[in-house]
Amino acid sequence: MQRWTGMLRLTAENRQGRTAAAHVYHQGAYKIARPMYPDDTGQVYYYVMNPGGGYVDGDRYLMELELGEHAQALITTQSSTKIYRTPHQPVLQLSEVALKHGSYLEWLPDPIIAYRNARYEQRTVIRMERSASLICAEIITPGWSPDGAQFAYDELALKTEIYMDEQQILFDNVKLRPHGKQMLSMGRMDGQTHLGSMFVIGEQATPEFIEQMCDEIGLDTLPGRIGLSQLIVPGFAIRMLGNSTQQMEKVFGIIINYVRQQWFGKERLALRKY
Amino acid sequence: MWDTSTDSLLSLLQWCDSNFPSGAFNHSFGLETYMQEGKVVDKATFADWLAMYVNEQFIYSDGLACRLAFEALTDSRLDDIWELDRLMTVQNLPRESREGARRIGERMIKLGTELYDCPHLQHYRERVEAKRAFGHPAIAFAIIARHVGVSKRTAVLAHLYSSVSSMVQNGVRAIPLGQTEGQKLLYELQPVFQEAAERLEELTGDDIGIVSPGLEWSQMKHERIHIRLFMS
Repeated sequence: MQRWTGMLRLTAENRQGRTAAAHVYHQGAYKIARPMYPDDTGQVYYYVMNPGGGYVDGDRYLMELELGEHAQALITTQSSTKIYRTPHQPVLQLSEVALKHGSYLEWLPDPIIAYRNARYEQRTVIRMERSASLICAEIITPGWSPDGAQFAYDELALKTEIYMDEQQILFDNVKLRPHGKQMLSMGRMDGQTHLGSMFVIGEQATPEFIEQMCDEIGLDTLPGRIGLSQLIVPGFAIRMLGNSTQQMEKVFGIIINYVRQQWFGKERLALRKY
Repeated sequence: MWDTSTDSLLSLLQWCDSNFPSGAFNHSFGLETYMQEGKVVDKATFADWLAMYVNEQFIYSDGLACRLAFEALTDSRLDDIWELDRLMTVQNLPRESREGARRIGERMIKLGTELYDCPHLQHYRERVEAKRAFGHPAIAFAIIARHVGVSKRTAVLAHLYSSVSSMVQNGVRAIPLGQTEGQKLLYELQPVFQEAAERLEELTGDDIGIVSPGLEWSQMKHERIHIRLFMS
């Protein structure tokens, strides 16, 4: 048995202002599209191609990503992450990310859609230097089942660990096990169907910046239930409850575009979803 | 049934007394957001909120941390305690709740070192003062409970009780409810506490910090509520 169903290793570096792959290796069902440069800032866009449209029982995927000094990359997926029934073994997605001095990563995968009786385990470990910047965002939908029932999957377990200069600065442990529970009840999903999480970390994310951002984008007037809070280092977390992927992508897009414009003078994201 | 000596019992009662100045009365941990949303308005809705708070957040955070800290102390794994202190802080994404926990923890550590000659607690205090630890109430409580000689299960149950009883007092003041209703609530919650303590025994370190999305949202949202009684 192969250890990984798919494996992707990518190291990108800044070459005279333009970020390019120094090393790419992929194996099995994991593929990455040609790099793209939709704007003139030197930031590279990579699309990771989800395997055959979906994950099946026992699939194990590993991604290793490193951004060298002052490299800038956006990594996204070509379509949503679909997880089919997993009667025997949960699907595993492991990602290890290293961000070197002055690098910038936007990690913006498409939403997760878990089908009836699916189990999915995702573990993301990000190690960044203090001068690096990060935006990562993720949306979990209520899934899909033939009879239209929501939350028919067995378990979604998404763990994120972020370290800065070797010290852990964030731990997020989302574990949704809907069986026998009123998922929409108070304190759980509070009547909403979609769960979004976003982390923005960088030296420029001071309390003053965050305050100004909330004012300028009119955070309190945006749709959905949006919680935003400072981390223990310059940066903030967002937890959002909403009722559609489009609604969440709209809100996340506003925030991402604000941050990249303010920090790096970049134009709006050139993605279909944001 | 108490498995503690009379001395331990008295110390435990002191720590679980709602007059104990830990500062917990300043924190609603998201309750106030639900009150302002009109979701918690009376004894019945407050009871629902409390059960949710215990089962969806407390057991995976303070409850499990208290148990794990107690076990680490028993096995003299002190490094695991300091790691847990950090993990409990960085998993608490809502800033007000995180800072509330840190303040209460710091207060308990200080009070505890004033009352007892407890080397582990003294060590914890020194680390907090040197900014090598944050300070967390569940870990402080585990150290104190072990020092005064209560069992792990009693420690966890007592920590659960004292945390929720502060919350009940907060609800009584803020909703508001009558004092009698508050006491009825605490009494009616006994099975919830017992079941939570049972479930806690089954959890592993892998379950620490499991998120209750709505509750966490309410704890973050509280920062942006303008008129408020509580710091979280």
